[in-house]
Amino acid sequence: MIIGRRYIDYKSLLPKIVAGAVVLVLAIFPAIDHSVVTLSILISSGIWGIAAMGFTLILRTGQFSMGQAAFMAIGGYVAAILTVKLGVPFWPSFLASGVLAGVVAFLIGIVVLRVGGTYFSIITLAFGEMVRIVITNWESVTRGAAGILLRPPAPIAIGNFEINFATSIVPYYYFMFLLVAISGLVFWQIDRSRIGGTFRGVAANPMLSEHLGVPLMKYRVIAFTVAGVFTGLAGAFHVHFISVVTPLVYGLWQSIQIMMMSIVGGISSIVGGSLIGAFALYTVSNYLTRVPIFNIQYLVFGAVVVLVVLFLPRGTGIIDLWSRFWRKVFKDSDIYEEFSTD
Amino acid sequence: MALLKLERVTKLFGKLAALEDINLDVEEGEILGIVGPNGSGKTTLINVISGYYRPTKGEVIFKGEKISGLRPDQIAAKGIVRTFQSNVLYEGATVLESMLLSSHLQYQSTDWEAFLNTKRYKDDFEKVVGRVLELLKEYDLLNDTFLPAKGLSHGFQRMLGILMALMANPKVLLLDEPTTGMNHEEAMFVVGHIKKINQQGVTVVLVEHNMKVISSITTKVVVLDFGHKIAEGQPREVMNRPEVIQAYLGTEVMV
Repeated sequence: MIIGRRYIDYKSLLPKIVAGAVVLVLAIFPAIDHSVVTLSILISSGIWGIAAMGFTLILRTGQFSMGQAAFMAIGGYVAAILTVKLGVPFWPSFLASGVLAGVVAFLIGIVVLRVGGTYFSIITLAFGEMVRIVITNWESVTRGAAGILLRPPAPIAIGNFEINFATSIVPYYYFMFLLVAISGLVFWQIDRSRIGGTFRGVAANPMLSEHLGVPLMKYRVIAFTVAGVFTGLAGAFHVHFISVVTPLVYGLWQSIQIMMMSIVGGISSIVGGSLIGAFALYTVSNYLTRVPIFNIQYLVFGAVVVLVVLFLPRGTGIIDLWSRFWRKVFKDSDIYEEFSTD
Repeated sequence: MALLKLERVTKLFGKLAALEDINLDVEEGEILGIVGPNGSGKTTLINVISGYYRPTKGEVIFKGEKISGLRPDQIAAKGIVRTFQSNVLYEGATVLESMLLSSHLQYQSTDWEAFLNTKRYKDDFEKVVGRVLELLKEYDLLNDTFLPAKGLSHGFQRMLGILMALMANPKVLLLDEPTTGMNHEEAMFVVGHIKKINQQGVTVVLVEHNMKVISSITTKVVVLDFGHKIAEGQPREVMNRPEVIQAYLGTEVMV
């Protein structure tokens, strides 16, 4: 009985302890390793992870968005145009990029989510391409294929302490850390509250939900818009981080990549799954670019998706391996608990 | 004044009239039976009232207010909730989850309060869970709380569907053939529960094939045939009218 109780405690506590430890290690990570290579992998994983969280949130309502990179493009270009061409300071431009991406998502949402399903996927796919084509051809505003180069954001002074984006990558790392923390909190809170429950109901049986009083459009649009806002913010930060934005940065391939990150990481956990998926796929593709075989990352990504679908079916991904592992470890005590009469 | 009123409701599919010029009054607190042969427009009637279809002509009026043209979720929020003819449930959900997924209209707190996890939202959630357990207990499903809904027997799945509709706080409950595919005992089990729901102040509109069910609980019956209302009145009396017998069994042939 005691072992049984311990098992339950471990089961509920261990994920929290491990998650806390991971967050702590990541919070002091630059003190452990501040090489540009490692930190840029982590920063990029965080940025793409936010986009993957957005994809997962939309998937919660049963819709499969295939154009999420377009919202990063909108956020990124708004940030670049405002700071470089109009001289707007970093913070207002950053927030504006999230707002504008959200407004676009809302407007697209109220038109496209009426149909839903396969049509929604195809229209978001077309929307992603439309955004790319508009960016490429609207040269007077976006500078077309040449793209826009950005300077690092102005240093932020707190008392005597100065955070300088120009001299070190560490400020970018902490900016990413905060952005992921805030977006993660928002996505997690939506997902675990009644709203997340309503999303699942809408996905599982839209007709039934509607007849039980759920306004389908409202909840689909909420998911799509929230995803749009944070994907836009991620795009804006991404552009500042790589200090350049061109139409090639956010195309169909990136939309597919976001989708794969969400699914490979595991949609059972909106924050953890997306971040793990983004980290895994970003790291893999980063190392694969050094392999001297042309476009090998496409091949490997395809293989990864096939493996995940085969061995981790029904929406489970890398993050679910963890709970499977613990279930195995504590299997004996589980049985003990079940049969003990003491 | 009638609680729910249909005024000259017509529903056309192309040129086919599934319902034609239907007038109907549902009084508060009654159990109204709607009967008729297959294809007579019974389910279409439910679909029109619940907002799944818009009537081609005519109006549906609830508490003196026109509701035809509203979306199903708006009509549900006003207090008219339906069940489905087949077992329509949430894929992959347990009984408890199915009930919680149906609880949207139970919440007083807004989406913002849910997002910010305020006290009012937490209280609401407690109340909803309490209500779920109360309903499951009252209608004999408590032992199955953690079972997958799809694993229940046919009769219990129907009952779960009705309970899920009750989670939407209906004033009028539209039941689309709640006893199809059931044996006599199962049907009487569901009938007993429908009576109980009615006694708690819910007006019931019951579409049904089973004459035993109709005559045992309804106070008034409406007979449909080819989209027309051909009779209305006391169940026993109506079922003996020649036009009703003709609709069901065909013309009597004297030998």
